[in-house]
Amino acid sequence: MTTTVPQASLSGTGARVAPAPAGRRRGKGPDWRKRLEIALLTGPAILVFLAFVILPVLMAAYYGFFKWKGFGPPKNFVGLDNYKIILQDSAFHDALLHNGFIVVLSLLIQGPIAVVVALLLNQKMAGRGLIRVLIFVPYVVSEVIVGTGWSLMLQTTGAVNAVLAKVGLPGADWLSDPKVALWSLIMIITWKYIGFAVILFLAGLQSIPEELFEAAAIDGATYWQTQRRITLPLLGPTLRIWAFLSIIGALQLFDLVYIIWGQYVASTAGTSTMATYMVSNGRNAGNYGFGNAVAVVLFLISLVIALVYQRFVLRRDTEGALTERKK
Amino acid sequence: MKTRRILAAWTALVVATGLTACGGGGASSGDEGSGSGGTTTMTFWHNSTTGDGKAFWASTVADFEAANPGVTINVQAIQNEDMDGKLQTALNSGAPPDIFMARGGGKLADIVDAGQVMDLTDSIDPATKAAVNEGVLNAFAVDGKVYGMPTSVLPGGMYYSKDLFKKAGITETPKTMDELNAAVGKLKGADVQPIAVGAKDAWPAAHYYYFFALRDCSKDVMAAAAKDKSFTDPCWTKAGEDLQAFAGTTPFNKGFLTTSAQQGAGSSAGLLANHKTAMELMGAWEPGVVASLTPDKKPLSDLGWFPFPSVTGGQGDPAAMMGGVDGFACSAKAPKQCPAFLNFYMQKKYQEGYAKAFQTLPASKDAQAVVTDPALKAILASYNSAPYVQVWLDTLFGQNVGNALNSGVVNMLAGKGDAAGIVKSVNDAAAKG
Repeated sequence: MTTTVPQASLSGTGARVAPAPAGRRRGKGPDWRKRLEIALLTGPAILVFLAFVILPVLMAAYYGFFKWKGFGPPKNFVGLDNYKIILQDSAFHDALLHNGFIVVLSLLIQGPIAVVVALLLNQKMAGRGLIRVLIFVPYVVSEVIVGTGWSLMLQTTGAVNAVLAKVGLPGADWLSDPKVALWSLIMIITWKYIGFAVILFLAGLQSIPEELFEAAAIDGATYWQTQRRITLPLLGPTLRIWAFLSIIGALQLFDLVYIIWGQYVASTAGTSTMATYMVSNGRNAGNYGFGNAVAVVLFLISLVIALVYQRFVLRRDTEGALTERKK
Repeated sequence: MKTRRILAAWTALVVATGLTACGGGGASSGDEGSGSGGTTTMTFWHNSTTGDGKAFWASTVADFEAANPGVTINVQAIQNEDMDGKLQTALNSGAPPDIFMARGGGKLADIVDAGQVMDLTDSIDPATKAAVNEGVLNAFAVDGKVYGMPTSVLPGGMYYSKDLFKKAGITETPKTMDELNAAVGKLKGADVQPIAVGAKDAWPAAHYYYFFALRDCSKDVMAAAAKDKSFTDPCWTKAGEDLQAFAGTTPFNKGFLTTSAQQGAGSSAGLLANHKTAMELMGAWEPGVVASLTPDKKPLSDLGWFPFPSVTGGQGDPAAMMGGVDGFACSAKAPKQCPAFLNFYMQKKYQEGYAKAFQTLPASKDAQAVVTDPALKAILASYNSAPYVQVWLDTLFGQNVGNALNSGVVNMLAGKGDAAGIVKSVNDAAAKG
């Protein structure tokens, strides 16, 4: 970040007085002081980031080359063996499939519903504030409470089946039937995260200038034509950012599955994800080298998808931004 | 100048933070032995989070501290399903608890391999050695050295509700699988869920496989499998097929895949405690667990026990028992008062207290006379007359194979695999570990 320093303070420290044309060197004094200031202010954050994010990734990469029981230092070096096993394991393929399923369905289900709800809540109406709060509350409740609550209600002998029975509808094994369990998970995820999408889109809608809608009304556009031609395109950046967050969150989904299906039965119920695969084959089985290798694989998959998305989809949103490197 | 003041402020902040960090780091958890004035502190992890069990350990620790001035023990109760993970993290962090729960078998062998457990072979009191069966102490032995001290023997079998059996018109406890299937039919006819199983925690479902294997496989085959971790003998597949046939009669409670074993009234133990089911296959810890889940928190008055039925065509002895041993071990860096505490609780007085508090079978033969619960007495009789006792297979085979075995059985019970699939998942696991 470049800031313009008034002439007066420059001459005060005995630096060169001539107005330097965007040159980097303005004199030794202010330069190292500014750098020290930046270093001191960003130092703690960078240290924490290195220690708690970068370092564990490097350590996981290291441990992933060993077969290790988790007690004492690792001794059994096996090279890329763990990675070979992971990529050939049908249980991992299942987990990958479930993750892909969740990513796609999250986008397809939450996106349209959230846009419609946001459009609705953008109009003035009675109780608008209350409805907004109610839609947002599930997002604020912790995953553990959501998981525990829903798992109690969706038990085969639980509340949902009891209510359905009273109405005369057949219940189902919401959590234990492999054909149904993944859909139950999608339903819970949608319930929890749609509030987040709605709030993001509402904020995005607020930033669209009113004049455009007025101009469209003058030109005689219908409501849906307006939404399609003006609102959605201008909501574009918000939509793209929301999709990015949704994809990354769905790839790394762990807590809801772990709380509802426990440590062992997620793969049996057909709801395993890469993260639960890592826990059940790494931690529960005591194969810590293998578990670390799975963590690295999950990291690489997320990284590749994130970079590809940023390069191709988010590119036009970051053009001209402050972070763009100046030529 | 302004910048000098900013710099001075930052320096002061950094120095102050540094000092507090150093000051905090100095006070360690006291794992080293005698500090100044000869005070020793030890940490003790056990898994009784509620009721009489928790109270028993609190009072035993207090007695030990009274008898050994200068020694303090910090007790921590951890939920059973969280224990393994927490213990592993603590052992790896270099600040392990001094006294921790251990069950022997492959899991303990892994910890011994990493040099994190204290060798107790020479620290066991002669009185303790005399009071405990050699086989029980051997459950904690790795390469001939003993690494743990038992608290209880926990053989397994079928716990049942005598009242519900009477309601369904079952007059005798089943001795063969055919009789068990008949009993299941009668219970269904009386609108009672025949058997509860906590498959969410995997091991309760796997126990069915272990018992079928115990009946189908001979003693030698099981010992050989413990050594080389391979399941090549056809008896292992037969055990899976027998279990599949039994599961095909739909004896289990609705939604058993997501029922936990011991947590809350909706767990399989809770179902038995509240008469929502007639049977549960469990170990000798069951009376205590059920007692904590009954509406009045008292032991279930009509709780009975019968051994796992015999299986036609099985090569195992129909009177053989399977069970685990609960106990404690000392971490390698624990102070010498640790083995002293282990010997302390093995005395008759405390083993009797243990048996009463946990409503289970104490390891010490001297204390077994205090058992009055009819279900426990039935187990004790079968245990003492069993030709051999096999350790739980997941404990025996170690965490990697044990975990795969448990998951394979759950898959089969949920209809996602077959008997051959169980053997395959075990062999796959060997590659990952």
